[in-house]
Amino acid sequence: MSIRLSSVSVRLGDVDVLHDVSLDLDARTVAVIGENGSGKSTFARLLGGLVAHSAGELRILGLNPAKQSAELRRRIALVFSNPDSQIVMPTVAEDVAFSLRAERLRADDLRERVVVELERFGLTALAEHASHDLSGGQKQLLALCGAFVRRPELVIADEPTAYLDARNARRVAGHLFEDAGHRLVLVTHDLELAARCDLAVLFAGGTVAAVGEPAAILAEYETILKC
Amino acid sequence: MLTLYRPGDGLLHRMAAGPKTLLLLTVVLGVSLLPSTWWAAAVAGGVAILAYAGAGLGDRMLGMRELAKQLFSIRWIIVITVAGQLIFLGPEPAVANTARVTAAIVLAALLVLTTRVTALLDALERGLSPLRHLRLDPQRMALLLTVTLSTVPILARLAGEVRDAQRARGGRAHLRLFAVPFLVVALKHADELGDALTARGVR
Repeated sequence: MSIRLSSVSVRLGDVDVLHDVSLDLDARTVAVIGENGSGKSTFARLLGGLVAHSAGELRILGLNPAKQSAELRRRIALVFSNPDSQIVMPTVAEDVAFSLRAERLRADDLRERVVVELERFGLTALAEHASHDLSGGQKQLLALCGAFVRRPELVIADEPTAYLDARNARRVAGHLFEDAGHRLVLVTHDLELAARCDLAVLFAGGTVAAVGEPAAILAEYETILKC
Repeated sequence: MLTLYRPGDGLLHRMAAGPKTLLLLTVVLGVSLLPSTWWAAAVAGGVAILAYAGAGLGDRMLGMRELAKQLFSIRWIIVITVAGQLIFLGPEPAVANTARVTAAIVLAALLVLTTRVTALLDALERGLSPLRHLRLDPQRMALLLTVTLSTVPILARLAGEVRDAQRARGGRAHLRLFAVPFLVVALKHADELGDALTARGVR
């Protein structure tokens, strides 16, 4: 996976929301679990280049986010829990196409990439539909579609199934875990999803409490939850 | 929703976004410069009706259903404009000025009704490219204008949600009680939108 953090801290205002995080993640799918306020989402935002680290060394896909942010953003995609905040354009097809603007593709190539991705996510019939009038599940599929159309090497998903019913949560998870040549960092409270990953990281109090096989980490987390 | 693209195959739909913007800008400017007389009010109204009828908006009523929707969505602007001027200027200037303002708004809305946002974004980028000489980034400016346009319906929805939340808690309709939470959710949305643009590779 090539995510390496060495004594990384993130300071927001006067508070260290992440402190002294050291990780070397090399797995196709990584689950990030922990209680609310444990630093999971800040970790996801750090990997996505939305917050800067205040101390330590950080390399994502071999790149330094502080100096190579443009290159990093080209190679990674972020998916948030609230799909409404990710939709930018008024119609479904336009919103997916918006993700490809930076690539400056020819109109035909752009159209083809959008059509293929809409088909993959089951959104073809909704291509001309107003994107903000979709159901919650359809909006999250659109957000995923907009992320995957860029063919990212790394997808960082922060609680992508939080607002979804069981059927839509399964559909979204199916796309995230599908081997489409990407690696996945999944921040989640859904322990069943976490168990499907190759590796799990447990956050507590703004730092890493444990890293390892999901079964062992989930058992440790269950013990914490019972305290 | 105030404005949103309506699929269609009329003349305006087929026009390229750049020339269409210039055409509508010229018509809006022409309407704005009309004198404050009864006949000017009739001309402003007539131009708006003809433009919607000829736009091919596919509402099966020669664009009049869409025009009515647009007028309804700006009803308070019309009421406030006409009422204020009736008091200070009299009926003829009040009606003529309101007709000019209303016609200009609904004519401008035709641009968004008949142009895909992506086409508008491309046209704006091209149109603003000379600003590079002033060290301004046309891509960023075009994106700012386009995102502003597409955020209007979202803000309308957020306003509805704030009102619903107040009603659900038994709150009375009050401008200050509405404005503060609306400002908070609008700023939160702006923050999230910034993150979304960054996450999707926009610098």
